[in-house]
Amino acid sequence: MRPMAPRVRLPSRSAGIAVGALLTLGFTAVLLGVRDEVTSATPALALVVPGVVAGLLGGRIAATAIALAAAGSFSFFFLPPFGEWKILDPDDVIAAVVFVVVALAVGELTARESERRRAAEVRADELEDLTQSLEQAREDKDRMAGELDRLTVMEEVDQQRSALLRSVSHDLRTPLATIRAVSSDLRSDVVYDDDTRRELNGLVADEAERLDRLVANLLSMSRVEAGAFAPDRQAVDLPELLATSIERVRRVLRDRRVELRVADDLPLVDADYTQLDQVVTNLLENAARHSPPRSTVRVEARPEGSFVQVAVEDSGTGVLPTERTRVFEAFHRSDGSRSSGIGLAICKAVVEAHGGTIKVGNTPGGGARFVFTVPIRARDDRDESGHR
Amino acid sequence: MDGTKVLVVDDEEAIVRALRAALEARGHHVIAARTGHEALERTASAAPDAIILDLGLPDLDGIEVCRRIRLWSDVPILLLTAEGADDVKVAALDAGADDYVTKPFSTPELLARLRVALRHRQRPGALSTGDEAVLEVGELVVDLPHHEVRVAGERIDLTPKEFGFLAVLARHPGRVLTHRLILQTVWGEAYGTETQYLRVYASQLRKKLAGHPAPALVTEPGVGYRLVDERDQLEP
Repeated sequence: MRPMAPRVRLPSRSAGIAVGALLTLGFTAVLLGVRDEVTSATPALALVVPGVVAGLLGGRIAATAIALAAAGSFSFFFLPPFGEWKILDPDDVIAAVVFVVVALAVGELTARESERRRAAEVRADELEDLTQSLEQAREDKDRMAGELDRLTVMEEVDQQRSALLRSVSHDLRTPLATIRAVSSDLRSDVVYDDDTRRELNGLVADEAERLDRLVANLLSMSRVEAGAFAPDRQAVDLPELLATSIERVRRVLRDRRVELRVADDLPLVDADYTQLDQVVTNLLENAARHSPPRSTVRVEARPEGSFVQVAVEDSGTGVLPTERTRVFEAFHRSDGSRSSGIGLAICKAVVEAHGGTIKVGNTPGGGARFVFTVPIRARDDRDESGHR
Repeated sequence: MDGTKVLVVDDEEAIVRALRAALEARGHHVIAARTGHEALERTASAAPDAIILDLGLPDLDGIEVCRRIRLWSDVPILLLTAEGADDVKVAALDAGADDYVTKPFSTPELLARLRVALRHRQRPGALSTGDEAVLEVGELVVDLPHHEVRVAGERIDLTPKEFGFLAVLARHPGRVLTHRLILQTVWGEAYGTETQYLRVYASQLRKKLAGHPAPALVTEPGVGYRLVDERDQLEP
């Protein structure tokens, strides 16, 4: 593709005449110096050249004008008597006439040829323009296809966003439904016995806590997404943390039994207490949600190389192999599940921020077994004196 | 309605516990189910007097539960629905549910709806489709053979379609009737979607009943209409 190529190069008549005239003058001057050493055939041949050049550059009229000028020069300077518009020798008259005819014919031919060439160039230019616009069309098409892809992606993001909003609002509304049902009834005239009143108060407190946990998870999630989720590490006594977390979610677990097994020599771990507590709480809540009443939830902790491995097992229906990676994706909700799918995503984010790993498998009994690792606190650390 | 046996179907344990406390405090007997299949099984085995059914169950959809129960039982069904689930709500009502409350609901409102459903179900013949010649809802009397409507003894002139609209609502007082059901009953099978007819006739009926001690013609947005007698006032 030639940039800025003029579409059509019109024959420049004045340029043709100017160049032709200069060549005629130049040739005449040179040939005058050697006039005595050459025959009249030499200037006759040489002076055809300016007409040809003029024809090429300036077209038919320029060629004719320069051919006539060259003929004049030829007869005036190179046919005796020199310097006069007279020709003595009849041979020379014929030569002059032939020169004029040849010069005109050659000029005409070159001009014609030059025009044909220009016409061809114009066609080539047009062809090139056509190719260019075809290329442009193809680029447009590609760009539009790209645009379409982008729109599809945006639509998917949009769908994910509304799925997220649906699931979050469902999860926020569920505890609210219970709170509203109970509180609206407490305002009515009905008299409850003490046990029922206690039960209802507990119910409202539990559901309020559930809302609180959900909001905490949402906040953590937004911190993870903003990339501002750095653990504030300290020496953590894991058995103490596990026992405290279990106690706190006791009401969520209801009549499920919790079995806590911790290795005797369990070292301190290097972790953010609040974040680690959130991991344990989410796993316990998940176990409560997916296991039948009166079943057992097992929690274990034991050293494993430079990490402590913590496992939370339930006796629910387990996790399908195809779901084992996806359960940790944010807002993934497996069939029939009622969680917003945030809890396990938070677990993964926290564990990985601590340099550990989290996985899920099934127990021999078919329940789910979540296992995560958290690094052991280095012994020579200044916190080791037991301030925390 | 002491001693009424109520089946509460919801997979949210907390809601079941809240409803159990509220119902038992009023002398009802409560049975609970967590899934649709369990609900069907309990309905058959325990023969409840009423069912409170959450539409978002993990296994069967609530519409299907209503349809299957209606194959062999007229037990009143009160739906618990999520806000904005109008399609599901309407489909469940068309499948035979009696009424609905939207979560989060107020317990007194739910109990009032339950009372209405139970009372009208207890009236002999209330479910039949045209045995009674004269329908009475509070001060409103719809005399079917004479094509006549009276409120507190005073005659009200209605066009045939207005009469049909009011009659179908009066046959099921307090109960929400879906647009489709009203249209198909009054206008015919082909008119199930022409809800704009109903808006026009409802407003004409309200104008004609205004100033009389007649039951209120209540619009349930996106769902249908119900005729509410003051005895059935839903908000305490």
